[in-house]
Amino acid sequence: MSRRRPWWLPGFVTRHVLFAMVFAGLCGIGVMVFLIEFDHYTSTEAFCTSCHSMELAAVPYRKSSHFVSASGVRASCGDCHVSPGIFAATWDHFIGGKDVIRQLIGADYDDPVVNALHLPEAAFSAREWFRARDSATCRRCHEQDAIVGERAGTQAIHQEDAKGKTCVDCHINLVHRKVPERATFKRDAWNRMVETEFDLEAGAADRLLDE
Amino acid sequence: MPSSKMGLFALLCLLVSGAGAAKVTLSPDNWGNPAGEECVSCHSKSSAGLTEQWRHSAHAKVGVNCLDCHQASTDDADAITHEGQTIATIVSPKDCGRCHAVEEQQQRGSVHAEAVAVIARRMPAMVTNLAGPAVEAAGCAQCHGSTVRVQANGELDPDTWPNSGIGRINPDRSRGSCSSCHGRHAFSKAQARKPEACVRCHSGPDSPDKEVFEASKHGMAFASHHDQMNLDAESWVAGKDYFAAPTCATCHMGAAGKLPATHDVGMRNVWNLNTPVSERQHLVVFADGGKREFPESMDAPKRGSKVPRLDGAEGDVKMVATPDRRRQAMSLVCRECHGKDFVEAFMRQFDGVVDLYNRKFGEPARAIMQALYSTGRLTPTPFDEPIEFAFWELWHDEGARARHGAAMMSPNHVWWEGMYVVARNFYGRFLPEVRAVAGDGADALIAKHVQDLPENEWLKHPERGSPLLGVGTARSAHE
Repeated sequence: MSRRRPWWLPGFVTRHVLFAMVFAGLCGIGVMVFLIEFDHYTSTEAFCTSCHSMELAAVPYRKSSHFVSASGVRASCGDCHVSPGIFAATWDHFIGGKDVIRQLIGADYDDPVVNALHLPEAAFSAREWFRARDSATCRRCHEQDAIVGERAGTQAIHQEDAKGKTCVDCHINLVHRKVPERATFKRDAWNRMVETEFDLEAGAADRLLDE
Repeated sequence: MPSSKMGLFALLCLLVSGAGAAKVTLSPDNWGNPAGEECVSCHSKSSAGLTEQWRHSAHAKVGVNCLDCHQASTDDADAITHEGQTIATIVSPKDCGRCHAVEEQQQRGSVHAEAVAVIARRMPAMVTNLAGPAVEAAGCAQCHGSTVRVQANGELDPDTWPNSGIGRINPDRSRGSCSSCHGRHAFSKAQARKPEACVRCHSGPDSPDKEVFEASKHGMAFASHHDQMNLDAESWVAGKDYFAAPTCATCHMGAAGKLPATHDVGMRNVWNLNTPVSERQHLVVFADGGKREFPESMDAPKRGSKVPRLDGAEGDVKMVATPDRRRQAMSLVCRECHGKDFVEAFMRQFDGVVDLYNRKFGEPARAIMQALYSTGRLTPTPFDEPIEFAFWELWHDEGARARHGAAMMSPNHVWWEGMYVVARNFYGRFLPEVRAVAGDGADALIAKHVQDLPENEWLKHPERGSPLLGVGTARSAHE
C-alpha cells in the first residue's frame, strides 16, 4: 500500500529524512531544556557553595540585603553573576569553568587566609564584568526609571545624574566583603589587615601570595 | 632699640600675617576644577544641606568647588574612588594650606594642633581605665582629636571618624582640623570669630571658658552688642574694624593695632593653667615652624640648639618667646581698649590668683601625692583610690576653674565656682583622705606641706572661731 506524498513536501524529504528531522528537533529541544535546567541548577547558591571557597563568599552575602529582604525577594548567586538569556548564561557558565579549574589546581582558595588575600582581584574582575554588561544582571530586578527611593533626591539622581553611568559605578560593596576600587586599593594595607584578622606574623600574607 | 622691644619685634615679625586674615597667595588658576562642578549636581540632591552651605560660602563665591579641596592622589592613604574621581573624605590642614599657607603654618605646632600629644600621657589612665574606647571616641577625641585610621577596605575606621577634634592626627600625618572652628561646609569667618566657635570644647567643669567669658564684663559687652561686631568683615582689627566687645578670637588670635592675627591660639598665653601646678612657659619655635612650650624654671633653649619636641623627635630651635614676650603680645590686645596701668594691674590680679593656687593648694597637694606614692601608701594604679579623684578634681576641674576665672575676669569663677571649691576639696576631702591613707605619717606630712605655710596660719588659731559657723556671738550679716 502506498501513501500519497503531500503536495507541499519537497521531493528530497524522504521518510528517513523526515525521521531525522523530527529526531533532530527533539534533540534540539532536549539541548535547550538541558541548558535551561543546567543554568538554573548551576546558578543556585547550593551549587556554587558546593566549593568551599565559595562558601566564604556566601557568608557576607547571607547578611546582605540581597539575601535578607522584608519582601522576601532574594537574589541567588546566578541572578547577579550570570547574564540574562540562555546563550549568554551558557557562555558565562563555560567561562566560569575556569574557577573550577583554579579551585582544583590553583591556590588553596578554601583556606580563609588565601581566600581573603585573593579577594580584591576577584572583586575587581567582577566589577569589570558588571561594567562591560552595563550592569545587566542588576537591571533584571532594578529598573532605573522606576527607582524612587526613600529620600527626596534619590529619584532625581537616578533620572538626571546617573545618566551615562552604570549601576556598579556607584553601587559596589553591597553584598560581599568590602574592597576598595582598583585605583585606590592598597595591597600593603590589605595584607596587614589579613594578618591582623588571622593573627599571623608580619609578612606572612606577602609570602602566602607569592606561593 | 631696647632688647625687650627687639624681642617683641622679632615675635611680631615671626607671626606676622598682616592685619586680619592673610591673603590667599595661590593663583586662582589652581582652583575651580571643572570636574568638581559635576559633584554639585548630585550632592544638591543627596546632601542638600551641606551643598547649600557651600553655595553660600566664600569658597563658592570665588569658584572653589568640591574637588579643589577633596581631590586626592591614588597613593594617599585615605584616597577612595568616587564617581570616577579620586578623592579623600578628610580635608586636612595640609590640604587647606595649599591656599591658606600662612594660617596653616601658624597653627602647626600650636597647642591646638598638638592637642592629642599634650594629653597623650594623661589620657590612658583617665579614659582607658575609667571608661573605655567608646568614650574615648565620642568624648576626649572629639575635642582633642583622634588618630584617624584608614581601613584596608578604604573606609575610615568608625572608632576614629567622624572627628573634628582640633588636634586630629590625619591620614596624611598632618595635625589639626580647620573645620573644628570653621565648620564645614560654610567655613565662615564670622562663625570662628564668635565665642560659640569655642564652646564645644571650652566649656564644662574643667575648662569653663564659655561660662567664664559669659560671666565677665567682656561677655556682657558681647551679649549686649553682638550685632555691632562687624564679624563678616575682611579686615577684623580690634579697635579699628570693631570695638564693641572682644571675643575669644580677639584676645587669643585676633589682630589688634600693630599686633598681627595668628592661628597659633596659645601664643599669647603665659601660663599653663590646666596642670596640677601652673608655671610660666617659654614658647620655643622650631626651624620648620613646629613649636613646644618649656617651663620658665628650665633655662630657655638657645637659638640654634636642638631640643626634643613633644613627640620626642629633635627640633632645631629657631626662636624662643619668653613668658614676658608672650604677655606683652597679649597686653597689646588689651591696650586697644584699656590703659597701660589698668592692663598691668589686671595681669597682677590674675597672676596673684595663679600664684596663690600654686602655693596654697597645687604644690602642697602634688608634694603630698608624690610622698604617698613613694612611701607605698598608695598603689601606682591610677584612680583606684578615692584620694586620686580628690587630687584630680582639685587641679583639673576646680583649680582650673579658679585660674581660668581669674584669667578672664569672672569673679564668680574665681571664688564660688573656683577657689572656694578648691578649698572645700582640699580641707574637707583631700586632707581627710591623706589622714586615712598615710597612717602614722599623716601628721608629719600635713605639718610639712600644709600647716607650716604662711597661708595656713589660720589653722593654728582655733580660738578665733567664726560666728558664721556658730562660734562666738552671732552678729548681723551686714556688720
